[in-house]
Amino acid sequence: MPRLFTKRVLNLLTAIGYFAVAGIAIAYFFINEKFEWIPETALELVREKELLERPDAKTCSECHEGIYKAWKESRHSVSWISKTYVEASENHSKAKCLACHIPESVTGEKPNPRLDRRDEGIYCVSCHFLNGKMNGPYDLVAPPHPTYRNPDYVRSSFCGSCHQKTYKEWKGTGVEDTCQNCHMPRKKDRLTDKLPLSLLHKKKWVGNHKFLHGDLTEKDIFLEAEFKDKLFNLNLLNKTVPHNVPSADNGDPRLYLYVTFLNEAGEQVDQTKEILAPQQDTALPFNKKVSFSYRLFGLVAQANIVLKYQPAWSKEKDLVWEKTIRP
Amino acid sequence: MNSARIFSLLMVIIFFMAIPVKAKDMTLKEPPQSLSKYYPPKSKEPKWIQQMHKMSTHFGGIFVNLKEKDFKNVDKHADKLVEEYQKTSEMVPEWEDYFDIKAAEAFAVAAKTHDMAKAGKASGELGKTCGKCHAEQEVAVWTKFHWPSFHKIKVTDPISEKEMAFDDYMSKISSSFKGVTVNFGEGQYNRSAKALKKFKSQFMELKSTCSKCHTTNDVKRFYVGIDADTAFTGLANELNSEKPNPRKFWKNIGLLGKTGCKHCHLTHRTYSFIQKSWEQVNE
Repeated sequence: MPRLFTKRVLNLLTAIGYFAVAGIAIAYFFINEKFEWIPETALELVREKELLERPDAKTCSECHEGIYKAWKESRHSVSWISKTYVEASENHSKAKCLACHIPESVTGEKPNPRLDRRDEGIYCVSCHFLNGKMNGPYDLVAPPHPTYRNPDYVRSSFCGSCHQKTYKEWKGTGVEDTCQNCHMPRKKDRLTDKLPLSLLHKKKWVGNHKFLHGDLTEKDIFLEAEFKDKLFNLNLLNKTVPHNVPSADNGDPRLYLYVTFLNEAGEQVDQTKEILAPQQDTALPFNKKVSFSYRLFGLVAQANIVLKYQPAWSKEKDLVWEKTIRP
Repeated sequence: MNSARIFSLLMVIIFFMAIPVKAKDMTLKEPPQSLSKYYPPKSKEPKWIQQMHKMSTHFGGIFVNLKEKDFKNVDKHADKLVEEYQKTSEMVPEWEDYFDIKAAEAFAVAAKTHDMAKAGKASGELGKTCGKCHAEQEVAVWTKFHWPSFHKIKVTDPISEKEMAFDDYMSKISSSFKGVTVNFGEGQYNRSAKALKKFKSQFMELKSTCSKCHTTNDVKRFYVGIDADTAFTGLANELNSEKPNPRKFWKNIGLLGKTGCKHCHLTHRTYSFIQKSWEQVNE
């Protein structure tokens, strides 16, 4: 008798399992392939209306944990609270900074600043919520909230809403790679990480929301240098980055180029320095040589050249490369 | 000395004596602390100037609509003017005495007669209250709240790569500049050339400094632009030549002074001096 009962329970559980798998499979099919067949009334039952009332980033993270974690590491997440910004804006008092440090809705035009959730900086809602709807690069039935496709999400003009100078520089290069291609590299992944929702969606190309800030190398900034008569001539070429390097609308990132001249004994004869910065109109344009010429004082046996990069938000400089040139 | 000579001498003395000027003296006092709550950073918006604009709009709105004979809107602006005037009078307690609510109400009553002459006459009494406050406080308010303070700006010296206060940085630039001119004057061209490199680097750093407040390139290029570039190139060419030409050298120094230093000093320095004196008093 107990064995018969156990068998029946097992059968029941198996049946429930089959139904669950079949249910998920059917839901998967409709959600991913034929979502237009799902009646709106059915969707209404699973909608979470508060998600369409400008939720905070933490709420979004309940389903989109991976994207949230990447964003949290980005400069966008600290655009309002970063020490550099607080100092530069004289404790948030400069009105000119507000639009892009706390944008209400990014649309391709310069945004308006918002009044709520300022500590979250440029957060999920700033870029994905417009006119009461969630927007993104895909049309998604997404049971808790529908998402509407807008092709602007994969276009540079979207980023150009705030990064206007950089966008203009990129446009001038004629290069097809968009901002998103380099700064939001995509990989096949799930948009949601929460079960069972994550099982209901096909893997899609998901952009990296850390908004990568390229690490420069000698492949990116190319050096040519030579001693000629009483001069030391040096050329720098931004070979790979299709906008000025560095680039910024109002921040002050810099490349520091140090040139030290040594004599035969290895003693320093002279030294000089160049600051390559957008705010000084000296940043390196794409694919265009920038030349420097130095008059040599005394006998010089070698030149040591060091290139360092200092982002707008840091006082620290990172080494890009170091070279030695002899006559 | 005969009387004619004494008279002539007296005339000469009188002619060269300081003649009293009847111009109005202006005393700039730092605006009261209570006003600061109507300006950033304490307020999200510059509420005080917005309040001024509101009153000005209603004041002007009365006369615009009287002219158009749009009396419904005349009455509306008259009521709003009294309301905003009353509100403004309560914003800064230290300035309460500048306001005359009765004059505002009398003007509103006159405006509501829809008689331009009566409204014009009554506006004079109200206008006097505005004018008195503007004459005594307007420059001080603009200096304190509408001109960003240079003394809060930090500059990174490109030579030492250390961050310093703006005033200290300007002293540094001034020293570097003297290194260029004094050495040139003494015929020490190599020293002058080295000083020029340092001075140019510090001068160009000011572009970054301008961009801390000015968002458009045109503004910073007004101070550190093509003329400055031309002057620096000209100076370097002279100092790198076998025999530098003093005429060309000093011409470029003059160009730098006129188009770079002078532009900025004329625009910003007066306000900066006033702000600094207030800041020193508050320290």
